[in-house]
Amino acid sequence: MTDDAAGAAALALLRSVAQRVDVASQLESPAGETILRSVVDAAVVLMRAEAASIALYDPPRDRLVFRVAAGEQGQGVVGLEIRPGDGVAGYVFASGEPLAIGETTVDSRFERGAAEQTGYVPRSLVAVPLTDDAGTIGVLEVLDRRDGSPFDLADIEAATVFARQATVAIRATSLERETVGLLRAALLALAARDDEGPALDERALDALVGAIATDLDDRQAEDGGESRGAWRLADAVARTRTASPDQMALVLDILEALAHRAGRATSRYRAGRR
Amino acid sequence: MTMPAWSEAFISATRGSGRLSRERPFGHLDRAEAFGGVDGTGLTVAVIDSGVEANHPAIGDRLVRSVRVEVDGDSTEIVGDDGSDVVGHGTAAAGIIHSIAPGAELVSIRVLGPDNRGKGVAFLAALEWAIQQGVSVVNLSLSSKSEALYADFHALADQAYFANVLLVSAANNVPGPSYPSLFAAVVSVAAHDIRDPWVWFYNPAPPVEFGAYGVDVNVAWRGGRSVVTGNSFAAPHISGLATLIRAKHPGISPFETKAILAATANDPT
Repeated sequence: MTDDAAGAAALALLRSVAQRVDVASQLESPAGETILRSVVDAAVVLMRAEAASIALYDPPRDRLVFRVAAGEQGQGVVGLEIRPGDGVAGYVFASGEPLAIGETTVDSRFERGAAEQTGYVPRSLVAVPLTDDAGTIGVLEVLDRRDGSPFDLADIEAATVFARQATVAIRATSLERETVGLLRAALLALAARDDEGPALDERALDALVGAIATDLDDRQAEDGGESRGAWRLADAVARTRTASPDQMALVLDILEALAHRAGRATSRYRAGRR
Repeated sequence: MTMPAWSEAFISATRGSGRLSRERPFGHLDRAEAFGGVDGTGLTVAVIDSGVEANHPAIGDRLVRSVRVEVDGDSTEIVGDDGSDVVGHGTAAAGIIHSIAPGAELVSIRVLGPDNRGKGVAFLAALEWAIQQGVSVVNLSLSSKSEALYADFHALADQAYFANVLLVSAANNVPGPSYPSLFAAVVSVAAHDIRDPWVWFYNPAPPVEFGAYGVDVNVAWRGGRSVVTGNSFAAPHISGLATLIRAKHPGISPFETKAILAATANDPT
C-alpha cells in the first residue's frame, strides 16, 4: 500500500468512525466557555459591579486573551490581547498576587492603553489570578462597583472564589478535550479489530495515528496549547488493539459513558462487539 | 479545597475572635527602644517587583540602583535597568518602605513586566543577587508555584537567613504551594484594614505571622498615585518596620528581628 493509499484508508476510516459516533464534536463543547460566562455573570451580580471579564493565557502566542465578559460596559474587552506582565491584569497573572485598585489619579497611565481600546476606562477594579495547584492560567477582573464604593478585602476573597470556579471549569474542559482524544483513539482501536470494518494494515494505522495526532495538535494550538499529554494518552489507548479482553471492556465502558453524556445510546456498539 | 484567608485573623470584623490572643512571653517591648530615633540610614532594602519609578516624589531620590533579570531559556543575567516601573506596583512598595524608613537606600530588581513576566527562574536569580549584594531586607510581592523550584527557593531562603538578610513576603491568598512565602525563614505578611501604617499584628499560628496595613492604601503608582488593596501592600509596611529595627540594632539576625516585630505588635483588640 502506498503512503497515499494508506492515508486515504485512514481518512476513510476516520470518516466512518465520525459517522458512527459524533460524540467528539459534541464534547468539543463551548461548555467551558459557557461556564466561564456564568462565572463572570455571577461575579457582576453578586459583587454589584459594572463589568467582569476573564482573560486566559495562550502559550503559543504568549498573550493573555480576554475570552468572556459580563456587564454592558465590559463587552468591548472580549478578544482583546495583552502581553503577560503588562498592566494590572498582566501583573496579577505574573505575580499570582490578587489586588484591588481604585481612585487612580488622572496622570497615571494606569491600564489606559488596553482600557481605551475597549471604550471603557474603569475607576476601580479587582484582579485575581486563575490559579490551582498546577499553576496560573489566567486572570479574572471585576470592574467598578455600581454604587461607586471601593472594592475591599472581602471583594478580593469573593473574586478569588469565582476565579477558583473558573479555573476548575477550564481544567475540566481540557480534561474533556483529552477524553475526546482518548475516545477517538479507542474508536480507532475498535475499528481496527472490527471484522466488518475496513481492513487496516500497520502502515495505514500509522497514517491514521498521524492524522489524529495532527488533528489533536491543531486543536491544541487553537485552544491555547494544552500539553501533549492528551496525545500520548490517545496513543497509548490506540495500542489497545493488542489489549486484553478486560482492557477492551474498559474502553467500551468509557465509550458508553461518553456517548451517554452526549445523549446517545451505545448499546448497538456493545451488541456489535459481542 | 478551602481557601486560606490569611487576612481573616487580622481584619476588624474577625480580629476579636481570639486567634491572635496569647500570653506575651516577654511582655511588651517599647517601640522607642525597638526602633526609636532611626530612619533606616545605612541600610539597603531590595524591592523585587515590577521596577521602581526613580523620579517619583514618593521615593525621595533614595533609589540607588535599578536592575532587571533577563531570561534566556534557563539562563539568567542581571542587567542595568532604566529606573522605570512597567506597572506601578514596585513603585507602590518602594514608596511605602520609604515612608516608614526614609533614610534607607532602595534597590529595584525588576522581574515582572512584559519581557519577563515573573518566571520562577528570574525570581530565583533576583533573590540570589539581592542576597549577594548584602542588602538588609528584601521585599517580595510575588511567589512561585513551581514545585520544581521548591528546593532552589528553600536553599536561597536558608542562604538569606544565614547571611543575615531578612526576606519579607506578601502572603499568597491562593491555594497550593507558594515559594518562598510559606517558608519559616521568611516573614510572611497579610493585610489588615486599619488605616494606620503603625498598626501591625502578630499571629502565633503560622505560616502568615504578621498582619499590616493593606486595605485602601494610598500609594505611589506609575505616574501618579492610587488607592490599592492587597497583601502585597501590607508586606512593604513590615519591610519598612524591619528596616528601622535593623538600623536601631545593627547586626541583629532575622529571627531577632521577627521577635522584636512580634514583641512590638499591637494588641489584637
